[in-house]
Amino acid sequence: MERRNFLRIMAAGATVIAVNPSLIRGNLYAADGRLYTAYEKAQLVDAAGNPIKASALDSEMTYIFNYPYASTPCMIINLPEPTQQEVQLKSESGEEYVWKSGVGKNRTIVAYSAICPHQLTHPTPNDNFIQYVPKTKPTMAYDNSGIIVCSSHLSAYDAKAGAKNLRGAATQPLAAVVLDVAADDTIWAVGILGSDKFQDYFKSFKPEFKEFYGGIAQAKQLVSISAKTVKMTEYSKDIIQY
Amino acid sequence: MALSRRDAMRFTGLAAITAAASGYAKSDKTAAKSTAKGVLLSPAPIPAAKGQRVVIVGAGASGLTIAKYIKKGNPKVDVVLMDKRSVFMSGFLSNLVATGVLPLEFITHDFLEAARNGNYNFLQATVHDIDRTSKTVFTNEGTVKYDVLVLAPGIDYDYSHWTKGDVELETVLRTKFPAAFIAGSETLSLKSKIENFEGGNFVVTVPGGNYRCLPGPYERSCLIADYFKKNKINGKVLVLDENADITIKAAGFHSAFDNMYKDYITYMPSTTIDSIDPYKQKIVTEFGQEIEFADAALYPRVRGNKLLEIAGVAKDSPANKAEANIDPFTYQVIGDKNVFCTGDVRPMGFSKSANTANTEGKIVAANIVKYLGGQELSRKTWTSPLTVCFSAVSATPDLRAISVHAEYAYNDANKAFAFANAGMNEKWDGSEGIDGGKGLKEWGKGLYRDLFN
Ligand SMILES: Cc1cc2nc3c(=O)[nH]c(=O)nc-3n(C[C@H](O)[C@H](O)[C@H](O)COP(=O)(O)OP(=O)(O)OC[C@H]3O[C@@H](n4cnc5c(N)ncnc54)[C@H](O)[C@@H]3O)c2cc1C
Ligand code: FES
Repeated sequence: MERRNFLRIMAAGATVIAVNPSLIRGNLYAADGRLYTAYEKAQLVDAAGNPIKASALDSEMTYIFNYPYASTPCMIINLPEPTQQEVQLKSESGEEYVWKSGVGKNRTIVAYSAICPHQLTHPTPNDNFIQYVPKTKPTMAYDNSGIIVCSSHLSAYDAKAGAKNLRGAATQPLAAVVLDVAADDTIWAVGILGSDKFQDYFKSFKPEFKEFYGGIAQAKQLVSISAKTVKMTEYSKDIIQY
Repeated sequence: MALSRRDAMRFTGLAAITAAASGYAKSDKTAAKSTAKGVLLSPAPIPAAKGQRVVIVGAGASGLTIAKYIKKGNPKVDVVLMDKRSVFMSGFLSNLVATGVLPLEFITHDFLEAARNGNYNFLQATVHDIDRTSKTVFTNEGTVKYDVLVLAPGIDYDYSHWTKGDVELETVLRTKFPAAFIAGSETLSLKSKIENFEGGNFVVTVPGGNYRCLPGPYERSCLIADYFKKNKINGKVLVLDENADITIKAAGFHSAFDNMYKDYITYMPSTTIDSIDPYKQKIVTEFGQEIEFADAALYPRVRGNKLLEIAGVAKDSPANKAEANIDPFTYQVIGDKNVFCTGDVRPMGFSKSANTANTEGKIVAANIVKYLGGQELSRKTWTSPLTVCFSAVSATPDLRAISVHAEYAYNDANKAFAFANAGMNEKWDGSEGIDGGKGLKEWGKGLYRDLFN
């Protein structure tokens, strides 16, 4: 790999994150250091197994899919406006990274891990405390809506800016799912950008894994080929939003 | 007596500090000396420090958070977390356990799991003295030296307003009508009192000052009333409040009292207790009103844990006695920067809640790592803790809760902290209340994950 392919960002400490845009074909920068992990590509498909088209995503609806592991929920949202671009973000340990932008024709489509980095609240088949709050719906977590809120302890994240922290106890953004929208409008998840909480998550929810996935080993299986993507109201019985 | 504390102190040259407080017999000095030498004055059975050592006293919401996040911030720091308890039981959510809404396991957790996951040492020990000159903590397991000490021992009760120093009365009150604001046996006592209640007045008191968990007594009153209602018990909760009105989420609690528990709760604001007869089970108020009760949870005022006095770091705050004498921005003891005091012993008027202790603990842990790295702490290194607090108002048929969340901002004019960016949800009767009930449980689960995983 040639040196000029790398974009170097000095982090708060001495960590250097080398970003190689050629690594991915999607619209997000991904670091090949600790803060980007490429996983097997998975196509987002609906409950019947048909590919989901980017242009068919309802605006402001939170859809849930599990990626990169069988048990790790992510959300994908088609925002009402184009996202910001080249957003500088920082993990809780001080590493800096860049979230480039949303994807899709109008750069409105974003995807993030739905495991809240604060205390790991996440959607389950029973309930969902973390989701996008549409612009017309007020939230207690922040002055304006059109953001992602975790109602467990009211952490607010900027949906259009790489899930940057807006308010609340969380000390880092949600990890971003790196997406790729192909020429035929199909959507692919290719990796995770930012500091994810997967290991803490695997440590913390063993009884839940047994209940919903059959066990910890099943929960840790990597997703391959496709990821079932459904509206949050189909994924969980209860939606809790403040 | 196996050990004379005064003799123990002589060995460490601390006699001058403690002699005045000593009331021990001098007779069996020789036996006392040898026991002291053998056990109490030798190092506690934990590995030698492998780097700069931080000793944290108190494994509550505050100490557990600080231990974990110091190790996350710098794994090279040697962390020892101590607690006199062998099992963790949380005060938060304990009202729901006392009223049978949640099982005891929900609030009961394992210190060793936290130590394994957090890569620090847990020592089950009671701290009985601290020498800040030699930087030594004295425990019933032996001594431990520190580079930085964190005191997070939580509250003690201040019964003096009711007992005027009558220790016998205090002991009877603690035993017969425990406050149940320090989790453990008190919680279990309250649970059995409620389960076995046959009828009559059940008194719940709300103290003045900045007491632990402002909404706690009101939440408890609602849940006890809910229990009476559900189980058709002919009982009434009398809420004797020293304050002029409900101290937090007043609209939500008032409407719950009025709408759900009209026949079950009598709220009595501005009620200062003059005397309590624990045998006749009678309270006399400041204005001479006599109140008889069948049972009670008598919550006195709170004060800083006695350990602060022992360590010589206590000072009366505007609200409570003997709280930590610290710089409110750095949490360092005035005149001794190696000692930090956190959690419910802080003198700032923050809400004495687990959520506050947890968010504050992360900030303090990061600052301790900086301090050990040679950085000075100041107002610039301060950020606000957050308070997110749900309170249950009913359990039948659904768990419903109201909530408040806030940050704190310092007001230079009156040199005090006040709520900032605060928000409330005091509607319990619609879907908000049900969401609140679910939120309450998820809030707690998140906190346990943060403390133990
Ligand atoms: C009924 C009730 C309801 C509550 N509801 C809520 C709520 O809804 N939300 C909320 O956020 N908070 C709530 N709280 C408050 C919350 O539990 C406390 O504010 C919080 O636990 C304070 O944390 P801390 O670490 O400062 O003290 P603690 O949690 O009390 O921990 C102090 C620890 O120090 C140990 N210790 C003390 N002295 C010594 C010694 N000499 N040697 C060794 N160890 C020692 C103790 O054993 C204890 O484990 C509630 C509390 C109660 C009792
Ligand atoms: S777990 Fe999401 S805000 Fe606490």
